[in-house]
Amino acid sequence: MSARRVAITGLGMVSPVGATAQASFDALLAARSGLSLYTPADAPRPLAVPAGACVDFDPAATLGRARANTMDRYSQLGVTAGLAAWRDAGLAESPDGNRDEWGVAWGTSLGGTLTFERGHRELFLAGRDRLPPLTVVQAMTNACAAHLAIGFGLGGACTTYSVACSSAAIAIGEAMRRVRSGAAPVMLAGGSDAPLAFGVIRAWMALQVLAPGDEQTAANACRPFQSARAGLVLAEGAAALVLEDWERAERRGARIYAELAGFGESCDRSNLVRPDRDGQVRAMCAALHDAGLQASQVDYVNAHATGTREGDTVEIAALAATLGAHAANVAVSATKSAHGHPLGAAGAIEAVATVLALHHGAVPPTLGDAAGLDPQCAGVTHVIGSARKSQRLRAALSNSFAFGGSNAVLAFRAAA
Amino acid sequence: MQDTAPVYRFVDERLGIELKSADAATELASLGVDSLSLLELMFEIEEKFGVTVDQDAAPPRKCGELVALIENIAAGKP
Repeated sequence: MSARRVAITGLGMVSPVGATAQASFDALLAARSGLSLYTPADAPRPLAVPAGACVDFDPAATLGRARANTMDRYSQLGVTAGLAAWRDAGLAESPDGNRDEWGVAWGTSLGGTLTFERGHRELFLAGRDRLPPLTVVQAMTNACAAHLAIGFGLGGACTTYSVACSSAAIAIGEAMRRVRSGAAPVMLAGGSDAPLAFGVIRAWMALQVLAPGDEQTAANACRPFQSARAGLVLAEGAAALVLEDWERAERRGARIYAELAGFGESCDRSNLVRPDRDGQVRAMCAALHDAGLQASQVDYVNAHATGTREGDTVEIAALAATLGAHAANVAVSATKSAHGHPLGAAGAIEAVATVLALHHGAVPPTLGDAAGLDPQCAGVTHVIGSARKSQRLRAALSNSFAFGGSNAVLAFRAAA
Repeated sequence: MQDTAPVYRFVDERLGIELKSADAATELASLGVDSLSLLELMFEIEEKFGVTVDQDAAPPRKCGELVALIENIAAGKP
């Protein structure tokens, strides 16, 4: 246990299920899917796949047109979520004191891939020789973090982590370490990704891990832990958390949603895409140890579970190995069934969902039907089909497991 | 280019500013338009309207200067 505790005092989110953190969480509790059949804009040939798109997101409404036009969509999503978290924390947008040590830690897997794809289309398909002057600064992977630091006058570390699907979880964990060590009294942490581009979707299709679907089935195409699961569903989105020194938060009377109590990392060190139970166990055990939590204190796990055949069973096996006999009592759900897989943003979106679960004492469900659960995914208490409300949740884990074998687990403790 | 109305509509669409009715002395920066936004806007105007913007000219800082720039472009002045 460290001397400094880390309070979560602000939350923001833009997701396929909602325009704010609370709206998204309410939709998750109501078991509403944000997935639909999606056709990427400017697709050179017909393509429609199930995806989680933030269809109502209007960047000009939150950022202003001029500012929004300087950003790739992944930054538009991220800055909107960051702004929401900042306001939620009750922090002034203009520096009202010394922010030389305050910082940003952001996660993204693909950064400005939409900008790159548009540029490639112009150069290679349209035969143009000129690209928009902002192509570089829109597409660069640290653009979103930079916009956030500039916007709030944060003069400390401004870092971006690109570790596939663990990107945002690692960003949040690293931000926690900065607050805990005293290097930064306040950190804005989270992640964003906007991967719904023709080329990106085609690349994922080539890997044969995307769930199929049509107009009728797209909303329920992502079915983690269920026998009929057929793969993951790509999504876009962003989420942000304000992490703050606990005593500082208390002094200023901030609302504390929960404590970010621990962070664990590991590498599978075995395969680029095949998950490894022991690697995941190492990350979860490290997070519990870092948080000073016993396995028996964990009441909820927001699983990484993307809906792939192998990934979901390995994660359940890892949970059983980590939590022992207590695993059967632990509520487990996969909110990706509703919001899809936003790649580098997944760790942030799921961290916010986990924090709100602790805050409200309510577990959002995996979309689906208990009767359809895969027997190979048994051994935990699946929350499926409908939410579990009025729960006393003491602590929770949020798992993120990336291609490349990089595992990241965040451990949260209820504020009360 | 004779008719500048489409250019002003385009500026409004991209920056959210009704230039013709804006105070000429208003700083563009105060409306959230920085040098990067202007750089992108000039590129887009060139591409969309088939005109050339003098790259060596001082960038406009106020709404009135941006109006003058657009009128000059329309008149074929460098």
